[in-house]
Amino acid sequence: MKGLLTNYYETAAIILFGIGFATLMLHSNLIKKIIGMNIMDTAIFLFFIAKGYIFESQAPIIRGELKTVYAYVNPVPSALMLTGIVVAVTTTAFALALTIKLNEKYHTVDLDKIMEMEGDKNDE
Amino acid sequence: MTSNLPLINIMFLMITAFAFPLIKKIKYIYFFSYIIHILLVISTLATLMFVVNHGAYALNIGYPDTFMGIQLYISHVEALLGVVFSIIFLMVVIFASSTIDKEISENRIGLFYLLVNILYTSLIGVIYSNDLFNAYVFIEVSTLSACGLIIIKDKGETILAAIKYLIMSTVGSGLVLMSIAYLYSITGHLNILLSHNVIVATYQDYPNSVLIILSLFTLGLGVKSALFPLHGWLPDAHSSAPTPSSAILSSLVIKVYMVLLIKIIFRLFGLNIVKDIVIMDIILLLGSAGMIFGSVMAIKQKELKRMVAYSSVAQIGYVAFGIGLGSIAGLTIAVYHIIGHALTKSSIFLISGLMISQNKSKYIEDLKGIGHEMPITLILFTLASFSMVGIPIFPGFISKWYLSLACLELNRISLILIILASSLLNLLYYFPIVINGFFGKENLKGRIRKSKKVNPYSLFPIVTLIILMLLTGLFSGRIIDFIALSFA
Repeated sequence: MKGLLTNYYETAAIILFGIGFATLMLHSNLIKKIIGMNIMDTAIFLFFIAKGYIFESQAPIIRGELKTVYAYVNPVPSALMLTGIVVAVTTTAFALALTIKLNEKYHTVDLDKIMEMEGDKNDE
Repeated sequence: MTSNLPLINIMFLMITAFAFPLIKKIKYIYFFSYIIHILLVISTLATLMFVVNHGAYALNIGYPDTFMGIQLYISHVEALLGVVFSIIFLMVVIFASSTIDKEISENRIGLFYLLVNILYTSLIGVIYSNDLFNAYVFIEVSTLSACGLIIIKDKGETILAAIKYLIMSTVGSGLVLMSIAYLYSITGHLNILLSHNVIVATYQDYPNSVLIILSLFTLGLGVKSALFPLHGWLPDAHSSAPTPSSAILSSLVIKVYMVLLIKIIFRLFGLNIVKDIVIMDIILLLGSAGMIFGSVMAIKQKELKRMVAYSSVAQIGYVAFGIGLGSIAGLTIAVYHIIGHALTKSSIFLISGLMISQNKSKYIEDLKGIGHEMPITLILFTLASFSMVGIPIFPGFISKWYLSLACLELNRISLILIILASSLLNLLYYFPIVINGFFGKENLKGRIRKSKKVNPYSLFPIVTLIILMLLTGLFSGRIIDFIALSFA
């Protein structure tokens, strides 16, 4: 319990991840699924960035004299997550485009209803 | 110069990809794609020769030292897989030039080749990369371009399949990124070699972390490579895509993630560390379950392409089985199986595409007597299915044989029964097609001998792939020795 409280960034990230995952898996509405996907991605960004953050430290940009190592945060996680955000945006845009296409073809964004229309392929 | 070829390959494919939509005449698109892929075969072969002569090497990009820059690492496995991938891509591109205009509309052909190039870039990127975050970005690119190759047909079912694939893949890549974050927090590196050094020094301080990282990687990469029971998206995606796309997706895309998992297990952690972790047994269990259930599902299918797609689930099971054994012999044979199956499955998918388009029906029922009309095609199918079932000399048999030997080495004899059962199940769904295709008076009624002509441009790549498959089986000893050099 104490560990969860001291690492509250990570705890929050894992809870957010759970919320996003549940939304992604349990809802059949595609828009809600995409929202869940985004919450999940954001949770990972929070988790990753928290790894590089030191309380009350600055970005590693030197103004004036050079301070001790502890005065600066680790910039690598933030830089990586910039790429991560780009990837997430691309995926979201692609998923939304697919949703529009599906809506054009089936006139609904509900995945369960679309599956019903497509019919059973004798899978299970 | 030669040592820089892997990077040049990646850049060359990326840059040339975007020229395709600009070309107006379809003939020139085909010609351009031939040139690109032939050059790629030559350059991957040169990389292979370089590795044979000089041994494995790391290629730093940007910064001369590994700490700051991105690194590619090319050992024997990577070089060999690069050659296999480039040959399969060349053959699929040749096949596509004769059939793709029947499957997708004309203004999308340029886009199709663009996506093929991007997908190829991302696949060899994942294979070569020695930097986990870089590998993650390539994984994302491969997912998006693979989705693109599925939806390019622009039909309801393909879009549905693509969105299922995309959703599952997002979960998978989320888990992969999470495990990279976890790993970064305990090692402070993204480079596999540097992380390995830290892990070896400190893993006893973090007993749970190794378990968590490895399980997240396994789950994430397992979803993407359709490891049983995470395979739900695969049959729809691979059966509804255009034929050349399904050949690439089924033979190469799902394998790449397994290669990354092998790299993580062998290079990042090392076999000594993962040996006692329960995850290895879970990979073994999922692999064995996939081998059985994938085949059982395949038997129940009525559509040819869906059957072949389920067979891929079973074959990924073999790869996971080899990894899960947790020995060097197991990893070696997993890589061999990746190569053998890539050649076999791509040819099977191309053949099924030909049979479906000529017979104008996607159901297995309607293929009865097809051997009378398309004898050469069905003979090639028979050869490929020999490999899937495991007739001696064919690569499928070799990997089963060596997997059994690897089990014996570890004194886990009961596992051989699973391999045997899976082989028998493979027999049950591939041979009925062959037997019904060639024999039975009832089946041949109304069929005219050699009535269905096959374009030589579509037949040539299949024949080449089958010949290469036979060679992979014949020279299996040498190939396995060569792969084992990476795991020394």
